[in-house]
Amino acid sequence: MTEIVKIKELQKKFGKFQALSDVTFTVGAGEVVGFIGPNGAGKSTTIRALLGIIKRDAGKAEIFGRDVWKDSLEIHKRISYVPGDVALWGSLTGGEIIDLFMKLHGGGDKQKRDYLIKRFELDPKKKAKGYSKGNRQKVGLIAALSVDSDLYIFDEPTSGLDPLMEAVFQEEVERIKETGKSILLSSHILSEVERLADRVVIIRQGEIVESGTLDELRHLTRSAVTLATEDDVSGMESVEGVHDFIQKDNQATFSADNKYINDILMEATKLGVKKFEAVPPTLEDLFMRHYEG
Amino acid sequence: MKEKFARWDILFLQYLKRDWKKIIFWILGVGLFSGAFVPAFEEIAKGQGLAGMFETLQNPAMISMVGPTPVETTADYTIGAMYAHEMLLFCGLFAMIMAVLHVIGHTRKEEDLGLTELVRSFQIGRQANSLAAMAEVVVINVLLGLFISGLLIVFNVDTISVQGSFLFGASIGMAGVIGAVIGLVMAQIMPASSSATGSALGIVGLLYIIRAGTDVSNVNFSMFNPLGWTYLTYPFTDNNWLPIIYALIFSVMMAILAFALEGGRDMGAGYLPEREGRGNAKRSLLSVRGLFIKLNKGVTIGWLIGFLIMGAAYGSIYGDMQTFLESNEMMKQMFAQSGVSIEESFTATIMMVMIALVSILPIVIVNKLFAEESRQHLSQLHATKVTRGQFYWTTIGIAVIAGLIGTLLAAGGLGGTAVSVMGDSAAMDISDFLAAGYNFLPSVLFFTALAALALGWAPRLGKIVYAYLGYSFILNYFDGILDLPEWFLKTAVQSWIPQMPMDSFDAPVFITITIISIALMIIGYLGYSRRDMVEGA
Ligand SMILES: Nc1ncnc2c1ncn2[C@@H]1O[C@H](COP(=O)(O)OP(=O)(O)OP(=O)(O)O)[C@@H](O)[C@H]1O
Ligand SMILES: [Mg+2]
Repeated sequence: MTEIVKIKELQKKFGKFQALSDVTFTVGAGEVVGFIGPNGAGKSTTIRALLGIIKRDAGKAEIFGRDVWKDSLEIHKRISYVPGDVALWGSLTGGEIIDLFMKLHGGGDKQKRDYLIKRFELDPKKKAKGYSKGNRQKVGLIAALSVDSDLYIFDEPTSGLDPLMEAVFQEEVERIKETGKSILLSSHILSEVERLADRVVIIRQGEIVESGTLDELRHLTRSAVTLATEDDVSGMESVEGVHDFIQKDNQATFSADNKYINDILMEATKLGVKKFEAVPPTLEDLFMRHYEG
Repeated sequence: MKEKFARWDILFLQYLKRDWKKIIFWILGVGLFSGAFVPAFEEIAKGQGLAGMFETLQNPAMISMVGPTPVETTADYTIGAMYAHEMLLFCGLFAMIMAVLHVIGHTRKEEDLGLTELVRSFQIGRQANSLAAMAEVVVINVLLGLFISGLLIVFNVDTISVQGSFLFGASIGMAGVIGAVIGLVMAQIMPASSSATGSALGIVGLLYIIRAGTDVSNVNFSMFNPLGWTYLTYPFTDNNWLPIIYALIFSVMMAILAFALEGGRDMGAGYLPEREGRGNAKRSLLSVRGLFIKLNKGVTIGWLIGFLIMGAAYGSIYGDMQTFLESNEMMKQMFAQSGVSIEESFTATIMMVMIALVSILPIVIVNKLFAEESRQHLSQLHATKVTRGQFYWTTIGIAVIAGLIGTLLAAGGLGGTAVSVMGDSAAMDISDFLAAGYNFLPSVLFFTALAALALGWAPRLGKIVYAYLGYSFILNYFDGILDLPEWFLKTAVQSWIPQMPMDSFDAPVFITITIISIALMIIGYLGYSRRDMVEGA
């Protein structure tokens, strides 16, 4: 798989504050990568460095195999970007701003634009000053989705959108995804990431702490297991990979390292299994573990 | 009523607490500027100084800048008379501008920033904020007036009487209050804080220019001008308190008007209607140039109209000059001896003042790019194929063109009006005026370049360019009055340029300053193309 975005050991300081200390990840062709992490972790900073809005201090950052700072213009011809807080000129209307963005990007599709304006239920004749937060966000989204790009970078694109509009956004992203485009999606809405992303990258305090497909990540974590046996269940506590063991009569709940799940099952069968339920961790669990840990 | 202003006192105290540093700077700055030059004036008054100054200030160019004096004979022209004559108008103007900026900054600007929304969610009246901001400005100006009065009294000069000192301080404080109410009214009418500030300052500028005309032609008309109510009190000579009373009545009426207007509008809205806009962009908008022109259009047109009016207002004075000279034997001799006509000398002085004001516009335009950047208006555009060079050079281009047109309008307005009012007796034609105006072009470019340099390397310092412009302006303004040392004067860029048509054109200086300016713009670009964009932070 060719790598569309390639970041290696990216670093950035603001004065004395180390905003990014070690950011390494890639986005492959046709891949949707979810980029998540707590507030202030460095998601927007990474994205701004990718866009050449700020200059990195060290490390490598490439898009389409080109350096993001030196070749930013070549790169920008083929990407679309939506910031989390779309700020607009109060004196222009939404329609004018969308046209302007499309023109400056180049290669916009007017029909696509009109279709999106309808889908997102935006009134393009209103001055941007009068738009609500969600409507401002729609202007940015429509402009970015109306042009043809190979890489879409979204930084909390749905902040302020109502659930209906969020669903519209997700559908539109899925359509882009089907055409084989790459997407880097930073978001706090984990269900959105879970639905759209092939791979997830978790950043914390300027460092990538985890990355992989959702399945891979799940494998690294623990499932919540409820086990009832015929014989005394207490023997399970000492099995490798079992944590937080709580026993009630012959029923136990514990969390199990996914990589030991086979061994645990084998041990359990020796005791005569009456009931075995394993709930895989949600992205939220994964996330909490990294946020708190 | 109570409901509307509920708990304004809490906000008021909060503002005093929040602003105390600014308030101290304000009072010390304006106060020392207004009151502390007494020793310098004592110096000037030595020997034949007073008489000389009295004659100099009879010149219409000087009257249009500093205002008139009620004194008719040299013998009556005391230090006090001179002090009030030369200082009062300018200091009043200074106090007025400070008050305009403060009031709009604390009312409309906070509304635009969304702070008011938060404040109103507490148990605070809808109009409490405006009342608190207004009360704060009044308190500041009362303190300012007292400070200035005290300062003048302390110098203990015979002709600077106690009564006069209080009147002098009161006039400046009153000027501040007038500025505050003008600001408050415009904050209600205009659709955003920037246009409110622009229009309020525009009104102040207009009042200044109108009084320049009426002061030269017929001082009685200046009595109808709110700005006139400051210096027409004539402290230390006539000690006329009447204008202060007019000003008080005017301020109360304007404040009532402002509160009524505010009561009738929604937060964030103005009285100028918002029309439904276009669903699609016009072709002319679809480029960086188109966008930037559109963004700067309102402000630019406002300033350009201001320049034209300014030129025309000063131009109208030319008609009275010969009459003025006929009635003043001493002046007549002075000009006859120097070989420069009164019109030429006036043109030279006024042109420097006007072109300094014209320089504000390019600085405004260059600083606008950073404002756009920090409001994150450009983040999505940075991710397109638009280069930083396009942003930068488009902005510089628009700024330079605005400077060129501004000069044309100011010099052309002056010349056009002057030539027409002088009629057949005109000794100068319009090309002399335009040459005198464009002679100062390097200084306009230099200020543009300083703003560009700041934009590239230290964008937060962009506002300091205004301070340097103000500094150069003040130096040149006072050069005619005080005899400043050469090296000191040369710290203002305009001082390097000869004043046409009194002096002759100096090509090497013209070219050198132009080249330095272009170099600074290029250096600014190097910074702009390399630095991190500041987004919000
Ligand atoms: N221009 C700047 N100057 C100084 N510090 C900055 C600047 N931009 C970002 N930071 C700091 O860098 C850190 C990372 O910020 P960033 O905006 O990348 O976080 P984020 O992961 O996008 O957070 P959020 O989820 O809240 O959007 C924060 O601590 C922030 O305060
Ligand atoms: Mg962010």
